[in-house]
Amino acid sequence: MLSEQEVKNIIDQVIGYSKLPECEVYVSWTEDDFIRFANNGITTSGYRVTQQISISSTTADKRSGNAAVSELTPEALKEGVKRAEDLAAISRPDPEDMPALPAQKYPKLNNFDSYTASARGDVMVPQVKAVLAGALENKLVAAGFIQRSANAVGVGNKAGLFGYHTYTDSSLTHTMRNPEGTSSGWATQSSVALKDLNGEEQVKVSIDKCLRGTKRKKLDAGKYTMIMEPAAVADLIGWLGFAFGARDAEQGQSFLSKPGDSGATFLGEKLFPEIITLRSDPFHPKLASTPWGPSLLPNEKTAWIEKGVVKNLYYDRFWASKAGKKPTTSPGNLVLEGQENSLADLIASVDRGLLVTRLWYIRVLQPKTWQLTGLTRDGVFLIEKGKVTDAVNNFRWNESPAEVLQRTTKLTQPMRVTNDETGSNMAPSLITTDFNLTSISDAV
Amino acid sequence: MLTRRSFIGASASAASLAAASRLFGEPTQDSTKPSPDLEKLGEVAVHEAKKNGASYADLRIGRYRNQFSGYRLSPERGSNITDEVPFVTDQNSFGFGVRVIVKGQWGFAASPLVTSEEIARITREAITVAKANAEAQSKPLQLVPVKAYRDRWTSKFERDPFAISMDEKLELIHSATMSVKKDPKVFSAFGALGFQSEDKYFASSEGSSIQQYVVRVYPLLNAVAVDFKNGISRNRSYSVEPQTAGWEAIAKANLLENAPRIRSEVLEHLAAPPVKPGKKDVVLLPSHLWLTIHESIGHSTELDRALGYEANYAGTSFLTTEKMGNFSLGSELINVFGDRTIDRGLSTVKYDDDGVLTTKFPIIEKGVFKHYQTIRDQAHLIGETESRGCCYADSWSSVPFQRMPNVWLAPGAETVTPDDLISGVEDGILIDGDGSFSIDQQRYNFQFGGDAFWEIKGGKKRGMVSRVAYQARTPDFWRACDGISGPSYWQQFGAPSDGKGEPAQINAVSHGCSPSRFRQINVLLTD
Repeated sequence: MLSEQEVKNIIDQVIGYSKLPECEVYVSWTEDDFIRFANNGITTSGYRVTQQISISSTTADKRSGNAAVSELTPEALKEGVKRAEDLAAISRPDPEDMPALPAQKYPKLNNFDSYTASARGDVMVPQVKAVLAGALENKLVAAGFIQRSANAVGVGNKAGLFGYHTYTDSSLTHTMRNPEGTSSGWATQSSVALKDLNGEEQVKVSIDKCLRGTKRKKLDAGKYTMIMEPAAVADLIGWLGFAFGARDAEQGQSFLSKPGDSGATFLGEKLFPEIITLRSDPFHPKLASTPWGPSLLPNEKTAWIEKGVVKNLYYDRFWASKAGKKPTTSPGNLVLEGQENSLADLIASVDRGLLVTRLWYIRVLQPKTWQLTGLTRDGVFLIEKGKVTDAVNNFRWNESPAEVLQRTTKLTQPMRVTNDETGSNMAPSLITTDFNLTSISDAV
Repeated sequence: MLTRRSFIGASASAASLAAASRLFGEPTQDSTKPSPDLEKLGEVAVHEAKKNGASYADLRIGRYRNQFSGYRLSPERGSNITDEVPFVTDQNSFGFGVRVIVKGQWGFAASPLVTSEEIARITREAITVAKANAEAQSKPLQLVPVKAYRDRWTSKFERDPFAISMDEKLELIHSATMSVKKDPKVFSAFGALGFQSEDKYFASSEGSSIQQYVVRVYPLLNAVAVDFKNGISRNRSYSVEPQTAGWEAIAKANLLENAPRIRSEVLEHLAAPPVKPGKKDVVLLPSHLWLTIHESIGHSTELDRALGYEANYAGTSFLTTEKMGNFSLGSELINVFGDRTIDRGLSTVKYDDDGVLTTKFPIIEKGVFKHYQTIRDQAHLIGETESRGCCYADSWSSVPFQRMPNVWLAPGAETVTPDDLISGVEDGILIDGDGSFSIDQQRYNFQFGGDAFWEIKGGKKRGMVSRVAYQARTPDFWRACDGISGPSYWQQFGAPSDGKGEPAQINAVSHGCSPSRFRQINVLLTD
């Protein structure tokens, strides 16, 4: 792993080559191991080291150029600086450019696990074997993915800013299908510590879902009370986070904009029930976050929704300067706070509804209203009189994540979920009403 | 094993950027053969792999460049003054990956330090990976045969886009976005020019040594209009064909000439009434239909999906193997090809990342599903004896696997025009450009929006409507096709970054088609 001194040396070298007034450098280094499996056997796997040095150079009249290289030789770094500076010289002044940040006091985060950092693929094989054993024992078919990574990141600029951080991460996710292809279950775990992953425990969940799903009943589309498990909720809050930009809200392009051209927003207003608190928490020990966000300001714990009230919008440095506000952290590392309920409590409290494992292929239908579309996947079950009864087909849905939270009545405690498009967030299971399922999906 | 510190030290002494330029520089001798320096590195990997018991090995050295420049024009906070925000980015990545088979199991390792010593070390790492995993394989790998090739190939382009000055690029995109934003009622405009190149060297233990260079271009022009009073925001984009080509494709895109049209159409879109939902006929232009082809036919005919290799992430396919050769996937008009040889296709290349000579093959013939997209380690699983050349890795640090070739819909009869299709519609919608897109994990249930929609009434194209999406089931949709325009109207659009795999990878792929008509499709009102 690149040490703090090695990252500092790279940044100092780049800044030393720079001739323009401003130069900002971002160094990222990752070592990862991964194993894919399918059809009850390992398919592909790998070990790799990747690195990138991103250089941003700016002239006195705010013309910027950006370049990135993957090599650490003096020649490569020099060439990267030259390319960024050549581009800056040709570019036009950026009216939204912000001056370079001076030195910052970055918080210390505790998301580095030394075992995970030094582990190799061989220690992940037993976890895979546990999943495969569960599949074979139940005459099912497993496919999945396990990975671990060690990461070093560093930032620096000509104005004296410097930051360095190391973190680790890992995940095990798998899908369990029956050989006939008529049922599918799924389970996931992710943690900064590889030792938290447990294939033996995880496989029980996917097997249970898959075996329950073998005799699916057909259920029509419509509006249903839904219990969404953490993976589904993590996707919805991740997509909701994308829509918290102050700029869009103040310029009439967001569900957080008030009608009219006054620039008024719903900031400070109670749009959600009291039980909804959504925050970014880069200090959460289970999340693989960094001490700084995209603006390079120190990351801070930030509430977006607090007890139902829209508490903050995302202000980048430029928009904050225009609005006379303090810039905020970006809406990542989300935690949707929960309640002291178990999933069983939630199920017991539903007279008729659906239990959904996860969502799939979510896309924006209307940017202004933040209406999304997507599908259910890998386990939808009917709940009748407080009990899970039958497995049912999958559905397409058209819904707004904000409205889902507005109709939320009960939550469990959150757990960490890593989804491909929304990253790592802490999400509970929740009950929401009138969820809009628009058509049946024949997919299993 | 190299320590972290010696890794950095070795890196610093290797002058590897110079190496990248030298390795992938202009040919000094025979322009049909790979660089001798690359071939020496290929021999290192193959030798080391064989020495350590690998039954197969390949090395890919890659240099990737992505240049992206453009303008965002949007209003300042609380005023009508437009901020003209430029951006220019040029990213490079260089390194290598080694793939081996030991005990019938794949192993892969990659590093950004391209030296003989590091290639030998990483080859041994790949062997360690394969050995560790061999104990949990379901059955040993089997590769269908491939010829050994020694070749050098470059994609077709007239003018190297990286040789065009950034000044000229910014001037063009600035003029185009300014033209779009000329009407103060247009809220914001965005224009960009993307250029991508891949320098790749492939060497295998079966004797291939292949150097290839691919250049792709991605122009983009977009406008947004906002009705503050009624809280409505609408989009309009100029659909430009992304393609494997050079700067000449940018010149042919006529960005400046199309900007005024985008300006007026975004305002028309903003004022357009909402669609009346229900069963309607839809006429889909190539700028829109490419994405429906991609999602519903392109992905469903990937063999790795059908066999369950992607079950955990991208999904499986409703086209299970027993359907090959007999399943009716569309009307008799539907003829679809997989083709990595087609001119300007984004996935066009001479050899795939298995070292297989690429080809054109039928996927659907007269509506019947005929063939899957295949690679070397899976073709035998459906009884085929050669790969269809669909192997690709998006980086030197990525594992090659099955990716989509260009998948295109053959045009209809010469005489059929788009107006012929429209004139046969009593109540329908004409759709241009892509919008929202979503499809289930087996590629059955899909829902697509678009970029602009016109009502068709009594056989005539009428005014724009808004908030349109359509939802269908893949075989039902393609069986509902009763008209495809002729070859003169055939266009190729595509996706620069189609995602698949774990760890996730992207793929650039084109989908050509002519305007086509589909009967009685479920049209939705969104919002």
